[in-house]
Amino acid sequence: MAYFLSTLFGSIIPMCVTALVTMAITLIFKTSFTTNFAQGVISAFGAYVVSSVMTSNGLSIWLALPAGMLVSMLIAIVIDVGIFRRGRYVNALGKQIITMGLISIVVGATPLVFGIVNPGFTPFVKGLISFDLADGNVSFPKNSLVCMAMTIVVIGAIFVLLRYSKWGLSVRATASNEYVAGMMGINTHVVTAVSWGLAGAIGALAATINASSGNTVNIYFMTNYQVFAFLAGILGGFSTFHGPVIAALMIPLANNLVQYAVNVMGRPDLTGWSMVFVYGIALVIIFFKPQGIFGKKIAKKV
Amino acid sequence: MKKYLNKNYALLGKTPPKDERFTKVARALFFNPIGHYILFGVLCYVVAYLATNKIIPDLIPYSLQSSLAISFSFAIASIGFCLLMGYSGLASLGTGGFIGIGSYSVHYVMYQAELPLPVAIVAALLVAALIGVVVGFISLRIEGIYLVILTLGLSEILRNVYMVVEDKIKVKNFELFGTLIKKQHSLYIVATLLVVVMIITHNIINSPTGRAMLAMKNSTAAAQAMGISLIKYRLLAFVICTMYAALSGVMIMITIRSIQASNASGYYALITSLNILAAVIIGGFKSIWGAVFGSFVMYGMQTAILQDIPFFAENPEFITFISGALVIIVVMFFPGGLAQLILELKAKVKVWYKKIKEGIYGKDLG
Repeated sequence: MAYFLSTLFGSIIPMCVTALVTMAITLIFKTSFTTNFAQGVISAFGAYVVSSVMTSNGLSIWLALPAGMLVSMLIAIVIDVGIFRRGRYVNALGKQIITMGLISIVVGATPLVFGIVNPGFTPFVKGLISFDLADGNVSFPKNSLVCMAMTIVVIGAIFVLLRYSKWGLSVRATASNEYVAGMMGINTHVVTAVSWGLAGAIGALAATINASSGNTVNIYFMTNYQVFAFLAGILGGFSTFHGPVIAALMIPLANNLVQYAVNVMGRPDLTGWSMVFVYGIALVIIFFKPQGIFGKKIAKKV
Repeated sequence: MKKYLNKNYALLGKTPPKDERFTKVARALFFNPIGHYILFGVLCYVVAYLATNKIIPDLIPYSLQSSLAISFSFAIASIGFCLLMGYSGLASLGTGGFIGIGSYSVHYVMYQAELPLPVAIVAALLVAALIGVVVGFISLRIEGIYLVILTLGLSEILRNVYMVVEDKIKVKNFELFGTLIKKQHSLYIVATLLVVVMIITHNIINSPTGRAMLAMKNSTAAAQAMGISLIKYRLLAFVICTMYAALSGVMIMITIRSIQASNASGYYALITSLNILAAVIIGGFKSIWGAVFGSFVMYGMQTAILQDIPFFAENPEFITFISGALVIIVVMFFPGGLAQLILELKAKVKVWYKKIKEGIYGKDLG
């Protein structure tokens, strides 16, 4: 039981990070109709900003975080306004290639801006929570709980906004049909720009959460989560907003649970295969339900 | 045949067209696309010879052979991707994982079992064909962006398998047809296989298979109505693409000699699949030459050309930055890629040439 609980608490950070990244990717996918491959590096850039603000000004991570989120948000808005708005007639594949060109730009720009440094991070809250159960000790950093609270607040706020605010309505309208939404008087330019900005800010938050939990930071350190997010997107179904996020919570949890199961069965040598197993299951589900677990079937017009 | 034609031209009082003034060999080499590929291979051999023996180090530096070998290795995968995307209208992001198939078969067949290179190539092609069939079947159910992400997932599965099975792979110097192949000789093998792949692809494109693929790309419904079997050609497209990617992996392995799979920016990760995609887009996604040139831009240009410019040698980050900007500019302003750009330039030059001629001789003689 103690080991099971440790596994659960250890999954908090990956679950938070994946959920946030997936939220960002879904927002961009719904409003700009492209998968943003640059999400990972833009988020990582935000984490670099947080780190450099912390070290150069001696601020705490709480004060540096908004700076990083702001910078990522501005970068994302500049990308939308400067590139995607002008490339409206680029086809879907072309848009994806543009985001991949952005990867190279951000990867090239990071050492130019920050120099070649290993960014240092401190957790949001120091200390461990530890308690004893009948069959052992459970301990995990307090930081995880703080990160979880932040994630829940941010994602909850976005869902409330999407559901009840005027902005959310315009996002949903743009997602269902950009041209008709434009005709109905919705300023789709603003909707897309705000979605991109929001995605950038969420990405920076995700990267900072990931970095604050002690993982090594480099410009590619969010790429794995981005791959999770794409997979979660189609596993949950891109046609809704909640589907991808729920799937995003499932993927890291399933990974850790498979590792737990393998260890309990006494085959620790198999832990490396857990990701293969989870990906495999996800692909099989997608194969039989191409529109995703929560997705609605969209009739194809000929 | 030639004589007969010439006689006819003489009877009609006309000069024979340009390409019939040359001998058969010259015509085969210079006026035939396949001849161009062979000439290209010969050129690669000459460059490889000059570079490895350091004959003119100022013009053809020693490092040129390795950067060409790397970019031509990736060019094989790019050509496969070109066939998949430009001709069959399918997209995939699994190239990185598929490349790994080739590299791992080299590791196991040549390094562990100490068998010769052809065995490794055959093993790689067989495994790749199997995986290509699987992806092809998936593509029958899932399309568009979903297929892209699904192949990405498949590629991640492969990468995870690689990481668990053997993270670091390597290969030593080996013998091929009685000669010892060292690292610097890889360009010979890569160029040979690239030319073979180019010729095969050219033939596929210009055969009923290629036309069926194009029909399938433009409209699946219309293609089916014409009697084209979707399952056959989708499977074929994916099998060819995966096999080329695996072949490219074999070439990368004998060029680089040791690879680590768990590297997030490594050869089997998402970034490789994206780079291949970018190479095909930059080159123009319906052109074999475009794919080769695009791969050179993505993989070879940095080490071959830009590093000699002092500014870039001091700030290597700018190269990454500029290559990203280049990709975006090409996609936004030249959607046909560099291949189309060259075609347009050619047409323009022809118009200018005609105008100059008219200016000199007057309109009637032009």
